Amino acid sequence: MDSNDIFSVKRFLMLFRQSLTINMKTIAISVAGFFGLVFILLIYLQLTTGLSGWDNKDSFRVFVFLFFAIGLIYVGMAFPSFRSKGKSIAFLMFPSSTLEKYLLEFITRIIAFVVLMPLLFWIAANIEGAFIHLWSSSMKDHTFSFNEPVSKFFSRAPNEQWEIMAFIQGTILAFLAVFAGGAYFSKSPFLKTMFIIMLTGFGIFLYIHLLGKAFDIDTYGYRRTGILFIKHGNVGAGAFSVLAMIANLSLLAISWFSLKEKEV
Amino acid sequence: MIEINELGFSYPGQKGLFKDLSIELESGSITGLLGRNGAGKSTLLRLMTGLLFARSGSIKVLGHFPFRREVSFLNNVYFVPEEFTLPSIEIKKYIDSYASFYPNFDEELLNRLLMDFELDPANKLHRFSLGQKKKFQIAFALATRCRLLLLDEPTNGLDIPSKSLFRKIIAGSLDENQLVIISTHQARDIESIIDRIIILDEGRMIFKKTVSEISEKVSFITGTSEDLSRSIYSETVPGGYRHIIPKDHIETEVDIELLFNAVINGKTI
Repeated sequence: MDSNDIFSVKRFLMLFRQSLTINMKTIAISVAGFFGLVFILLIYLQLTTGLSGWDNKDSFRVFVFLFFAIGLIYVGMAFPSFRSKGKSIAFLMFPSSTLEKYLLEFITRIIAFVVLMPLLFWIAANIEGAFIHLWSSSMKDHTFSFNEPVSKFFSRAPNEQWEIMAFIQGTILAFLAVFAGGAYFSKSPFLKTMFIIMLTGFGIFLYIHLLGKAFDIDTYGYRRTGILFIKHGNVGAGAFSVLAMIANLSLLAISWFSLKEKEV
Repeated sequence: MIEINELGFSYPGQKGLFKDLSIELESGSITGLLGRNGAGKSTLLRLMTGLLFARSGSIKVLGHFPFRREVSFLNNVYFVPEEFTLPSIEIKKYIDSYASFYPNFDEELLNRLLMDFELDPANKLHRFSLGQKKKFQIAFALATRCRLLLLDEPTNGLDIPSKSLFRKIIAGSLDENQLVIISTHQARDIESIIDRIIILDEGRMIFKKTVSEISEKVSFITGTSEDLSRSIYSETVPGGYRHIIPKDHIETEVDIELLFNAVINGKTI
């Protein structure tokens, strides 16, 4: 056994293998459930909205909805060991380093979801499309592809580049917020995190509103841009990106110290 | 092996549980940690394992500060808590996935202990009863050959034959480099295996002696009211009295329950 107390690749791989062995059944059920959900949801939406009118963009909208809805719930259940005292003790007493435990959770919760969920959706949507196509050839796009919506999103004018960064940082912020909640709270972490996010959002907007009133700067148009008092859209996106990045680093620190200093 | 110096600890919003608690323990012993409900037995075990952090003072176990949870500490300490959860996998898979993290793991010993406890390695852990799960946990803990084993109420959930098997297995599976601390309120279950007794009360260590030190000083006898005059502490039992008397020539087994009651009632042994 490697005596490195901070990180050992061999030990990390063993931990990863152990996690797979323990969770294999759950993973298999979850993947099957996800396939079933995508299949049924797409069939239902295509039938109710009309097969002939359904195109790639519609499927992509379903993907975006599922990506955030399932993703936030799944990532929000990070550190499942912390939901019970017995599991918490076993997790914290297990002989691997805090960094290895943290990385494993980060990879299996966030990285694995962001990489595998689009792939699984792509497979499920194409199988479903092929299935519908066998039955009826009236559907406009029976194959699903990420190419068009993704390339359209990234091919923006130079003065809109910050919007891409704002979207990416915002998405990371959402995932890291629920991840940190999973590490920090023992019971009902997702609900508690959502409550705190709502409270924080409300607080920020109330603060901006009151600040605007106090200094009578509404005329500068902060309401129109929505991002503090910055009028220009791209600068607003830039400011949001920077703030979100700072928030992301803070959330990483919160989740790390929640694990490192967890007491049972 | 364990050095606790002026330890202070309290749960948030509660009055202090430990104040200036100091204990030193060496390897090569099976120590019984006794105390009333709420005396802090389980809390002390969790402080020793780094699951809780001292508010003041210091704890050093095997040369490590437990709260740092270093791998070289964790792979030499095994804690069997009162409440635990095992994954829903076969024993074999559990061993494959967990044993390699313990450098001194003794698979031969584990197989022998599983056989003694009549546990089939092909069975899935979640199908076991609480007692069987506990037996598996104890067998795995012993097979890790960790230098420090902490068992919190290990006999809870075990039937009578399993309790005697537990005593036999604990006594026969350890070496002189190991230290076992057993926290329990069922003193009789561990009477024949422990060689040192620590009693906690109101956040203080009020008693710490080896069984041989106790045996050199006092005898535990069943007698009548006539023995009351020379008794340090007595309790009525069916048919007479149990007494702790100053050591005479009679060599007796240490009656832990009687000793515990005597110490808790302020008697000096």
